[in-house]
Amino acid sequence: MSELSTTPTPSPSPAPPATTPPRHNWWARYNATSPVTLTVLALILGVVIGAVIITVTSAPVLDSWRHSFHHVGSFAGTLKLTFDTVAAAYRAMVTGSILDPTLFVHAITTGHGWSQTLTPLSETLTYATPLVIASIGVGIAFQTGIFNIGANGQAILGAIVGTAVASMIHLPMIWHLPLTLVAGVVGGAVCGLVPGALKAYTGAHEVIVTLMFNYVINAILIYALTSTALQLPGQSNDISRNFDSTATLNPLFGTKSGLRVSYGIFVAAAVVVFAVWFLKRSSLGFDFRVTGANPHAARASGINPKTIVLAVFLVSGGLAGLAGVVQAASTTHYIDGGFLIGSAGIGFTAITIALLGRLQPVGIVWGSLLFAALGVGGRAMQAATGIPLDLATIIQSVVVLFVASPVLITEIFRLRSRAQSFQLANKGWGS
Amino acid sequence: MGIVSTLDVAAPREVAVVRAPVGRRRVIGGLTIVLGLFVMLAFGFGSLAGAHSQFTFTPVNTSSGAPWNLAPLTVLTRWWNLGLGLLTVGLGVETWIRRPAGALVRFGLGGVLFFIALLLWATRQPGPSPVSSLNFTSVLIGSLSIAMVLIYGSLSGVLCERSGVVNIAIEGQFIGGALAGAMVDSVTNSFWLAALVGIVVGGLIGWLLALFAVRYVADQIVVGVVLVTLMSSISSYLNIQVLAPYPNLNVGNQPSNVALPLLSKIPIIGPALFNETVFFYAAGALVALISFGLFRTRWGLRVRAVGEHPKAAESVGINVARVRYTTVILGGAVAGLGGVAFIAIQGQFQPGITSGLGYIALAAMIFGKWKPSGAVVASLLFGVSAYLVDALQNENVPIPTEFMTMFPYVVTIAVVAGLIGRVRPPASDGVPYHRD
Repeated sequence: MSELSTTPTPSPSPAPPATTPPRHNWWARYNATSPVTLTVLALILGVVIGAVIITVTSAPVLDSWRHSFHHVGSFAGTLKLTFDTVAAAYRAMVTGSILDPTLFVHAITTGHGWSQTLTPLSETLTYATPLVIASIGVGIAFQTGIFNIGANGQAILGAIVGTAVASMIHLPMIWHLPLTLVAGVVGGAVCGLVPGALKAYTGAHEVIVTLMFNYVINAILIYALTSTALQLPGQSNDISRNFDSTATLNPLFGTKSGLRVSYGIFVAAAVVVFAVWFLKRSSLGFDFRVTGANPHAARASGINPKTIVLAVFLVSGGLAGLAGVVQAASTTHYIDGGFLIGSAGIGFTAITIALLGRLQPVGIVWGSLLFAALGVGGRAMQAATGIPLDLATIIQSVVVLFVASPVLITEIFRLRSRAQSFQLANKGWGS
Repeated sequence: MGIVSTLDVAAPREVAVVRAPVGRRRVIGGLTIVLGLFVMLAFGFGSLAGAHSQFTFTPVNTSSGAPWNLAPLTVLTRWWNLGLGLLTVGLGVETWIRRPAGALVRFGLGGVLFFIALLLWATRQPGPSPVSSLNFTSVLIGSLSIAMVLIYGSLSGVLCERSGVVNIAIEGQFIGGALAGAMVDSVTNSFWLAALVGIVVGGLIGWLLALFAVRYVADQIVVGVVLVTLMSSISSYLNIQVLAPYPNLNVGNQPSNVALPLLSKIPIIGPALFNETVFFYAAGALVALISFGLFRTRWGLRVRAVGEHPKAAESVGINVARVRYTTVILGGAVAGLGGVAFIAIQGQFQPGITSGLGYIALAAMIFGKWKPSGAVVASLLFGVSAYLVDALQNENVPIPTEFMTMFPYVVTIAVVAGLIGRVRPPASDGVPYHRD
């Protein structure tokens, strides 16, 4: 029934009337549970759970705990060891993804080592770029009440088409790079059109279709990469030809700087601006939002739901495809069989980031930066302390679980005013 | 209400669905005919008149004590494939004319025949394949072992979704069960304990899904996606942090097969069906149990009522939240057991070892129309296709296996879109319920 609704769901127990707290009262503001507060609290919970996981899986820490049960005096030492282990991990995570203060001070005082100091930030931005683009695509679909779980497949197809254009056509950069990016958009949009058309014309549920389509695209990726057209000549592995140098998104500060952050961030910025304009100012965006808010009203006011479904999948898939080609054009300059597969699947991360950013473009930028920082920091943590980078993914998952259920957070932290329960369209397969 | 529902995108379709199946069955019949014709043309006439393929029947692992030793059967590829194609066409014609309720089952049977023909064609001599003979019993055993895991997963899906909670975390429950099973079995050397812990771990993940989906009304699809990510990263984390430094936690025992007396001596199918691990028999028992439970008991009626129309269920005094909680936990437990069954076949645990099997199980559940019996048929079909992908790749048979990898997903999309048949999920599947 509620096929296309993003109506805010009432929280299970009746919410007390919301009162605007006085601005100066810190505690009252804490209790007001803004989206930012909720996200920060979720992050705190994620970090705490991560700390527990580090503690119970670290052999020296566990040994020390066992020891301290037999020898009374060593308890303080055990606590210190536990704290140090956890702190070292998180310190590596922060310094590896944002800024290392010692390197920063060194760079300021001596004027050298700026590249090393800025590398963490550059990496975080590099990782965040495709995430922003893909998540905005998913967010626009969510706002219309459409669940696009297939962003990953769309990104992969976008990258395949983009790679084909980037490696098989030879043009000057002024044409080649835009054409490559457009090819990515087209690839993603075509891939999105299939579930869109099936939903519009047969009523097939888009969650099932897009979910299944991801795996179809994974197979197509392998097929494409082992075809003579796309495979790197002389290779038998599933690896593509390289992008022409005229089709890559080059590092912002030149290749010599060692910083990977590329012109891709301008693409992402353009997408953010486009999304804000599209949703707030354009007529199609208005139709999208109306359909998301109340599909029946939308239909009654003359908006054709089929057109909307098709348009949503074109926009959402196109953006996912752009994300895929930006990922390839700004980092590796080729794609291989592991592209966006498994934990590297930006399409799946995009779903969670869209939720984290409450479907709003600006919120999504912050969400992407947070997730990218966690991912990059996880790598640094693994390098520095040997704790597997999967810890970052665990924290990400925990954060999203909590953000997805604000009621749980208000219960845990005993917040006085109930969270304005933000909920995605809860979509049934049966609807 | 009536006016409102006609405004819905899918609404006009819903009306058509009620009387659609008969026409759909004709379409399925037509597709089966096309499949058969394809077999005849591509695999029949596609092989030289003199080409032959060889079947062998003796199991590689003879622990069943098969008393027979069947001579290899050499067949003329072209004529056999023409025969198989004709059989498929016959199935299609029958479906076309009689339009039976089991149309999809006949299509599935046609699919199995298609795969046999494909195998014959792929291994024909003289031909491009380095493999000169085809061990039919091995194919059967391999396909069944994948199908068994899929059956566990799709049964889990059936349970959860019949009660109205979408479970796309099956993959996560597989991972949890497999990891826990591998560790417990390595320590205790008992697959019974491993199964027990796997059930508990799967049930815990089911409980998490229920907690977020039922109690905190979070979106079930998002929770499902996140739970899979969470479990795969936890397994990969533990693999580096715990399993790598303590290899004795992951020794990779495999349970011995239990040969059923007499039955396991049946030629060809005996070693495949009746010389299996306890997990295989348990899967069979679970199918019967869940089928019976869902459709013949009061509990099952309640579960289905909650999944179709929770408000009506509540109005007759059923506690919707409690029914959903217990059913989802039960479903998680079934998938967790499936994870143990999977690791019992595979031996050692590695991250990513389940490789999307949970999603194939999900597809099997949908293809099987949210029914235990349908899930079994779909699991068998997808099991065969998944096994063949592996086998053909390992033996370097020059066929693009990518298209066979797609097979489960493509037919599931086709079914969901009503291109072949039409499946209908429980009406409130995935819709959270608020008491108000």
